[in-house]
Amino acid sequence: MGVKKRRPLEGVRIADLTWLLAGAGGPRLLASLGAEVIRIEWRDRLDFLRYMPPFASRTRERAEKAGAMDLTGLDTGKVQSVNRGGYFNDINAGKYGISLNMKAPQGRELFKKLVAVSDVVVEAFTAETMQKWGLGYDTLKAIKPDIIYMQQPGWGYKGPYVKYASYGPIAQAVSGLTEQSGLPAPHPPAGWGFSYMDWSGAYYCAMTILMALYYKKRTGKGQYLDCSQVEPGIGMTGTAVLDHAVNGRHYQRTGNRSPYTPAAPHGAYPCAGDDRWIAIAVTSEEEWQAFVRILGNPDWAEQSRFASLAERLQHQDELDRLVSAWTQEQEPFGLQERLQAAGVPAGVCQTAQDRIERDPQLKHLNWLLPLEHTEIGTWPIKDIPFHFANGQVSQGGPTERAAPCYAEDNAYVYKELLGLSQAEIEAFQDEGTI
Amino acid sequence: MDGFLFDVKVLELADEQGEFCGKLLAGAGADVLKIEPPGGQATREIGPFYHDQVHPERSLYFWHYNFGKRGITLDIESPPGTDLLKQLIAEADVLIDAQPLGTLEKLGLDWNALQALNPRLIYVVLSPFGHSGPWRDYKANDLVHLALGGQMMCCGYSPTDDGSYDTPPIAPQMWHAYHIAGNQAFIATVGALIGREMTEVGEMIELPIHQAVSVCTEIDVPHWIYGQTPCYRQTGRHAQPAIGPEVQFPTKDGRYSIILPNPFPGGYETLVGFLEGKDKAGDLNEDKYKEPKNRRGRAFTEHFADIQAACVADFDLEEIWHEAQELGIPWSPIRLPEENPDDVQWQTRATFSQVEHPELGESYTYTGAPMLPNECAWRQGPRAPLIGEHNQEVFCEQLGLSVEEMADLQDKGTV
Repeated sequence: MGVKKRRPLEGVRIADLTWLLAGAGGPRLLASLGAEVIRIEWRDRLDFLRYMPPFASRTRERAEKAGAMDLTGLDTGKVQSVNRGGYFNDINAGKYGISLNMKAPQGRELFKKLVAVSDVVVEAFTAETMQKWGLGYDTLKAIKPDIIYMQQPGWGYKGPYVKYASYGPIAQAVSGLTEQSGLPAPHPPAGWGFSYMDWSGAYYCAMTILMALYYKKRTGKGQYLDCSQVEPGIGMTGTAVLDHAVNGRHYQRTGNRSPYTPAAPHGAYPCAGDDRWIAIAVTSEEEWQAFVRILGNPDWAEQSRFASLAERLQHQDELDRLVSAWTQEQEPFGLQERLQAAGVPAGVCQTAQDRIERDPQLKHLNWLLPLEHTEIGTWPIKDIPFHFANGQVSQGGPTERAAPCYAEDNAYVYKELLGLSQAEIEAFQDEGTI
Repeated sequence: MDGFLFDVKVLELADEQGEFCGKLLAGAGADVLKIEPPGGQATREIGPFYHDQVHPERSLYFWHYNFGKRGITLDIESPPGTDLLKQLIAEADVLIDAQPLGTLEKLGLDWNALQALNPRLIYVVLSPFGHSGPWRDYKANDLVHLALGGQMMCCGYSPTDDGSYDTPPIAPQMWHAYHIAGNQAFIATVGALIGREMTEVGEMIELPIHQAVSVCTEIDVPHWIYGQTPCYRQTGRHAQPAIGPEVQFPTKDGRYSIILPNPFPGGYETLVGFLEGKDKAGDLNEDKYKEPKNRRGRAFTEHFADIQAACVADFDLEEIWHEAQELGIPWSPIRLPEENPDDVQWQTRATFSQVEHPELGESYTYTGAPMLPNECAWRQGPRAPLIGEHNQEVFCEQLGLSVEEMADLQDKGTV
C-alpha cells in the first residue's frame, strides 16, 4: 500500500522495574507492540537470568548448528559476562536497558524524572518496596497525573498474604493447575515442567497494562493495578470450580485421556526411538474408521468391544495397550503424516530440537526471529505469534534488537530523554547512582 | 465503575479455540456478542454438565467460557443470515473468528470485503496452524497442540534410575492450548485497539495456535539454541538438562506440597531454621553444612530433599505452609481448584464471584477478576447466554427487523 507501517503502541513509554520471566515477560510483549520499554537494573542485584545458563558460547560452529538461519556477528574475543545469558536475551528482547541504583536517594530522584516522561510504571518488587522508597502510587501520580502503575507481588497487594513469595511453580500449585496435570491417583500430580504461570503472569501483566492504556486513551485517566501471579491461574480452573459448585464433584486427573469430550483412543503413545511419543485423539466415528485403516485393519479392531465410542471408552485400557503395541514400531513423524493425511488428529510430542530444526510449519511462520545483541551477536529469538497485516509488530520492538546489555542505553535515556549533560552523567556514574 | 473496554463492541464467531479470548474481552468490559449457529455452538456439548444432564444449556464448560457475553443464533451461511452478519460487522470494533479457515471467505467476506464494510474493524483470526504452510490442513485438539507445541515433552514424571522413562509425557489439563492462544490473542486485540486510536484504521491479526503454544515453554528452547542441550522432564519441576532436586512431597493427609529453594542470600539458613523449629532439621545443623561448598552435589540434594520430605509428611496439607511463607520460604499446598474459594486471600480480593442463573433459581461460584484495578471494574456477570437469548434485542431493537420478519427468519431456520 506504500503506507509506512506503524507500531500500535508508538509513543507509549514504560519504566520497567521487573525481573525474571513472570515480571519481565509482560513488558517484553508490550515492546513487541511498539512500546518503548526501559528496563531498569542495578549491578548489586541483577536479574538471576543474567547468570543462568545457557550462555552464548564463543564458538561460532555451535551457534550455527543451533538454528536454521544465518547466525552472524558472534564476537569470539569477549569473555563471559552478565550479557551472555541466552534465556535473558529472549525474555528481554526489544527493550532498552539502563543502570540505576534505586536504593540511593539520588537514584530515586532520577527515577522520578523518568516517571514524568513515562506512561506506565511496572514493578515486581516485594509489596512494600516502592512505598519504602517514597515511590508509592500517590507520589507517582503527583509526578504524572495519568500514570498507570502496576504492582505484582506474587499473591497480590490487597489481602493477608501480601508478604508471601510466589514463583511459577507456587502459583501453579496453589491455583490448582498442578493438581490437574498427571496420571490418575495413586500417581502424584505431574505438575508443569516449566513455569507456565511465569508466562501467564507475563501475559496478564501485558493484558492488564494494555487494558489500562486503552482506558487512558479513551478517558485520559491512569490507574493503579494490583496484580497477582496466582489469580490468572485460578481463572483457568473455572470449569472445575463450577463442577464442584454445581455438582459437588472433586477434580480427578485422567492423565492424557479426554475428561469431558468423549474420545478414545486419546493419549500419548510410544513410538520407535528413544523416548519418542505421538499424541493421538480419535473422537468421531469417521476418525476411528480412518485410524483403523492406517493401522492396517487389524482383527482386534473389528471386535465388538471396540465397535462404538461407548465401547471403546469402556475398554480404553485394552485399546491403549493394543494401539501402543503397534505405534512403538512406527517412526513418529511418518506416522503423524499418515494419520493427518487420513484426517486423524495426531502430533508428535515435539522436543525443542524438533521445533527448532524440524517443524516445517513453525519455520513457515518464522517463529524464530534473528535479532542482534550488541555483545553476543545475532541469535534466534522467539517472535510473538500474532501476525498483523497493517501494524509493525515483532519482537524486535522499537530497538529492533535482542536484549540490552547491562546499562547499554544510559546515554539515550539520561542524555536524550532526561536532558542530563555529559558532566552530570559522569558525576552520577562516579557516585554510584547509575 | 467502567470496564476498561467500556466502549468496545466485539463479535465472536468461535468454538473452543476462541471462546476464551472472547471471555477475557467481556471481562475487560467489552460488549461481546456471541453468534452461534441455530441450535447452539458445538461447545455446548462439552462437559461437565449441570447435574450430569447432557443438554446444551447445561454445559459447565460453556458456562465458564461464555460468562459475560450476550448471545444470538444466526445461520451466517444463508443469504439473509450473511446479510444480517454484515450489518453487525459494520457496527463492530472487533471480530473474533475461530471458525474453520475459509468460512467467511466462502460468504464473500474476505479481509478486503470486511474492510469495505467497516474500515475500522479489527479482525482476529485464530486457527490451528495458520492460513498457509505445510501443516495448514492438519487437525488438532488441545492434546495434539500441547504435544506439537513442546509442553508435553517438558511435563510428566521423572525417569527411572537407569534414565529411561516408563511413563508418557503429560498434557496438563484442561484446554491450556486455548488458554495460551486466547491470552495472546487478547494482547494482540487490545494492542490493535490502541493502535487504531492513532491510525483510525482497522487491522487483521492472524494467530496460529500452534505458534502461540510453541512459544510458551521456558528453558528448553534457549538450551537447544545456545548449547544443543536437551531438557528432560521430571516430576513436579522444570525440565532441565539434568535431573534436579525434588520439590514436591506427600503430606500427612495424602496430598502434596511443594517447597522451592529460596534463591536469595540466607534462604537456605531460613529453611533450616524453620525445620529446626519443627524438630525436623535432621543433621542439617552440623557444622559441615554451614559451608556452601558442602551443600553441592547430588548426594546432598537428595539428603536435603529427604529431610524436607520427612517434615512435610508430618503435617496436613494446609497446616504449616503459612508459617513458612511468613518467613519467606516459598512453600505452597498443591490444591484442588475447588479449594480456593474458601481461602481468605481470595475472599478479600473478590477473586471469585457468585453468578445468578435465574431460570434455575440458583447462583454458583465462578472465577472472577484476575487483578484488582482502582479505576475500572472487571465484569462480574451475567451468566453465559441461553441459546438465542438476545435474538430479539439484537435483530429487532438494534437492527430494526419487524416482528414478522423475525418470525419469518425463525421459520426458515435462519435464527
